[in-house]
Amino acid sequence: MTDTAIEAAGLGRRFGRRRAPALDGCAFRLPAGRVCALTGPNGAGKSTLLALAAGLLRPTEGTVTVLGTTPAAARERLAYVAQNKPLYPQLTIAGTLRLGRDLNPRRWDAQVAERIVAEGDLDPDTKIRALSGGQRTRVALALALGKRPELLLLDEPMADLDPLARHQLTATLMADAADHGTTVVMSSHVVAELEGSCDHLLLLGSGRVRLAGPLDDLLAAHTLITGRAGEALDPHTVVESRTTGRQLTALVRPEGHLGDGFQSDRPSLEEVVLAHLRSPDAPPLLLDAREAAV
Amino acid sequence: MTALTATTTPAARPALHRGGLLRAVLRTHRTALALSLLALAAASAALVWLHSLENEARAGVSACATPPMDGLPSCAAVEAITVDQTYANGIAFLATALSWLMFAVAAWAGGALVGRELESGTAQLAWTQSVGPLRWLTAKLAAPAALLTAGTGALVLLNVWARGEADPDLVGDWYYPDAFVSTGPVAVAYALAGLALGALAGLVWRRALPATGVALAASLLLHSLLERHREDLWPTVGRTAPGSIELPRSAFQVTWDTPAPHGVHISHATFHPQSHFWPLQYVETGLLLAVAGTATAAAFLLLARRLP
Amino acid sequence: MTALTAATPPAVVRHISPSRGLVLAMLRLHRTALLFWVGLVVVAAGALLWAMGPGADAAWAEYTDMGCDLSRPNLGCDFPGPANSRYETAVAVASGLVRLLPLLTGAWAGGALIARELENGTAQLAWTQSAGPARWLAAKLAVPALLLVTGTLTLTLLHRMLWSSDQALISVGWRAWHDDGIFEINGTIAAAQALAALALGVLVGLLLRRSLSALGVAVLALVSLVYVVGELRPHLWPVKTVVTGLDDATAGSDGMIAETGALTASGARVPIPSCSGEPGCEARIGITHYYADYHPASHFWPLQLMETGLLLAVAALATATAFVLLRRRTGAAV
Repeated sequence: MTDTAIEAAGLGRRFGRRRAPALDGCAFRLPAGRVCALTGPNGAGKSTLLALAAGLLRPTEGTVTVLGTTPAAARERLAYVAQNKPLYPQLTIAGTLRLGRDLNPRRWDAQVAERIVAEGDLDPDTKIRALSGGQRTRVALALALGKRPELLLLDEPMADLDPLARHQLTATLMADAADHGTTVVMSSHVVAELEGSCDHLLLLGSGRVRLAGPLDDLLAAHTLITGRAGEALDPHTVVESRTTGRQLTALVRPEGHLGDGFQSDRPSLEEVVLAHLRSPDAPPLLLDAREAAV
Repeated sequence: MTALTATTTPAARPALHRGGLLRAVLRTHRTALALSLLALAAASAALVWLHSLENEARAGVSACATPPMDGLPSCAAVEAITVDQTYANGIAFLATALSWLMFAVAAWAGGALVGRELESGTAQLAWTQSVGPLRWLTAKLAAPAALLTAGTGALVLLNVWARGEADPDLVGDWYYPDAFVSTGPVAVAYALAGLALGALAGLVWRRALPATGVALAASLLLHSLLERHREDLWPTVGRTAPGSIELPRSAFQVTWDTPAPHGVHISHATFHPQSHFWPLQYVETGLLLAVAGTATAAAFLLLARRLP
Repeated sequence: MTALTAATPPAVVRHISPSRGLVLAMLRLHRTALLFWVGLVVVAAGALLWAMGPGADAAWAEYTDMGCDLSRPNLGCDFPGPANSRYETAVAVASGLVRLLPLLTGAWAGGALIARELENGTAQLAWTQSAGPARWLAAKLAVPALLLVTGTLTLTLLHRMLWSSDQALISVGWRAWHDDGIFEINGTIAAAQALAALALGVLVGLLLRRSLSALGVAVLALVSLVYVVGELRPHLWPVKTVVTGLDDATAGSDGMIAETGALTASGARVPIPSCSGEPGCEARIGITHYYADYHPASHFWPLQLMETGLLLAVAALATATAFVLLRRRTGAAV
């Protein structure tokens, strides 16, 4: 078993020659066993990246390696829940789970799948057609977890769940990941939702990787500073700076000691992400997880 | 994790593998399966019943002429008097239904079998299960193909049996388009070509309704092209004689030419005698299977190229 | 700045009436179907125009070259040459497309026009715009209805021109005024069939709300409707009856036959006996005459109008049901 869940090198995907690429030259490495938040604004390439990792799209440039092999070869060991939670509307919930058993005969764990369905108070004989959006998400997650994947790719999994179901399903996912060492990648643009549950971050913007690395390390690499306007910020890397009157507020990646004229704070995840989204020209920061993961 | 996988993986599991995929395909297309079995049962019952009418119907047909002459009655009267309409209509209806089966199959394959799945994303759901896209497509094509071959084959045999030695005036000559298609292996080949064309259209368009339309249009084109050029699929027999020619009964006339080079009328006719039924069937079946094979190969190639 | 704002308002504020907006939205939404319909009309009209002009000339030249217009034609005249078969193909393409029209219309109306929108939720999107569900359905019915009727009537007029100009070639092709496929396109029935297909398709789409099922059911419903109306056709207008002696059983055969049979001496109608041309057989079992209930060519328009009325009644019923269904489903908002 490899210790890398996903590794991308120069990964790019274009839809049509004229349009800007959905993904462009992405390079990152996600160690196994992580719970990774994949975030970024609408149209940043989150869904494309997940579909590439699931082996549903062919990259137009570069490579992506999943669980030490090609995505196509890893399909049996990964599970993928697409953004629109496709399921066969004509089947019942029980029928859908039977489908999972039939299509994954070597891996299927009926107990896990049935437990997730039961936690949502769903009658197994209900047709998928009759379910609400959130209930469908629950069944889709049951199908994904019932496969006992080594890598779980979730595209906006929590978007249409109520707060209670969201909390409960997140807990189930985390427990599963912890028990079985499953790597989880979930995309979301609600940053606050991710902070408590994830330990790794991948921020995409305009098809490129802006931030990648363990969450704690990424946070530690940034400092929120306030000081007098006009104060020199060299040699630190400035992500974003704003001047209000005589006061300067900036998010920087400190290089060495910060000047005494600054008051420095630890930024929250949301502050780091938003600062990067507001400043598309800020240099990307890719922390090599290989060292950081130790 | 390894401990858990070990407990849920008894040695007997791999045998279940193929059956599981097949079950999944059948379960997701339960309505289509039920409807086609129902249609098969109804058509079989109808053919058995028609067979029981055959002798009675055949007894009623006689020779006729228009206008009435030589002691023969008028054809308009004979048709009204003697033909057992029920039998003739029943056979004609089933022949038409069998030769149009391709359209229903193509529309279903393009729309429900492939197009809708790609449109709604359930195909992608299936591909990220353990079976993979190529095996998914194999099962999607193989299961209906097997059922269609068995069902259509049985109906063709029943149809031939129900037509029996019936008079061509009653059930149509062997070369009538519907009769030709519904009494030989081409019926099966048409259904299979419809399936393959539908699946290809579904994969190319990836949306249910356009794929239905395109699959239907492609099958209509193929069906009418073959119907129009059926006579060219095997060398014809020629016959030349002064004056007029009497062709044998049940000859499939292709051309008729009456040049008068030196004031003498010469008739030249080309036709297919009834013995050309099988060669024509084999050539047409071969062509259709080639179309089906090409479409299937194109579908697999497309899927393989689209996915990593 | 004021100059600029003053210049722009006409474009921004220009009011499009909601109905006009709906119509434009509909045409934009179903552009493929519109192009398809225009293409179909163009192909069918082109085939008819070609057949009327160069096609007919070439076919007739070939026919006379073969000597078939003479009093003693040969057997070869039953199988005319390539120019004649091109003519036949052109006419068959046009009338075949018109015959397919009810099925295509029904399939499209059930599948793409209504059910796909209900399935995707785009119908609900439209209902929450300012037009509202009833307006939405009215536009969905009116715009295609107008286009279908215009196109079909154009083809009908062209086919009638062909029919009146090329009588000789038509008889070569063994076509008669009452044949299926010719009767419809020569009158108002073709357009009425298209309207009935549209209304039934819409109703099925609203009932089933799933595109592929609606498509299948609509096609089945239309096949049945066309079949049933075709069976009813000779019975929609009082027939003429012709009685003939035993030596001629072909009476009325140039008209649309509703029923034929034999008469006994008392005038009772009995089925034609199976005599197989045996001399004296009819007289032996008391048959004195044959009769035929038929429609002469002069019944063309009464039959056309009756059948058109029937089809329009089906269309109106289906439309009314569709509106009632929509009102029930969307509540009093309609």
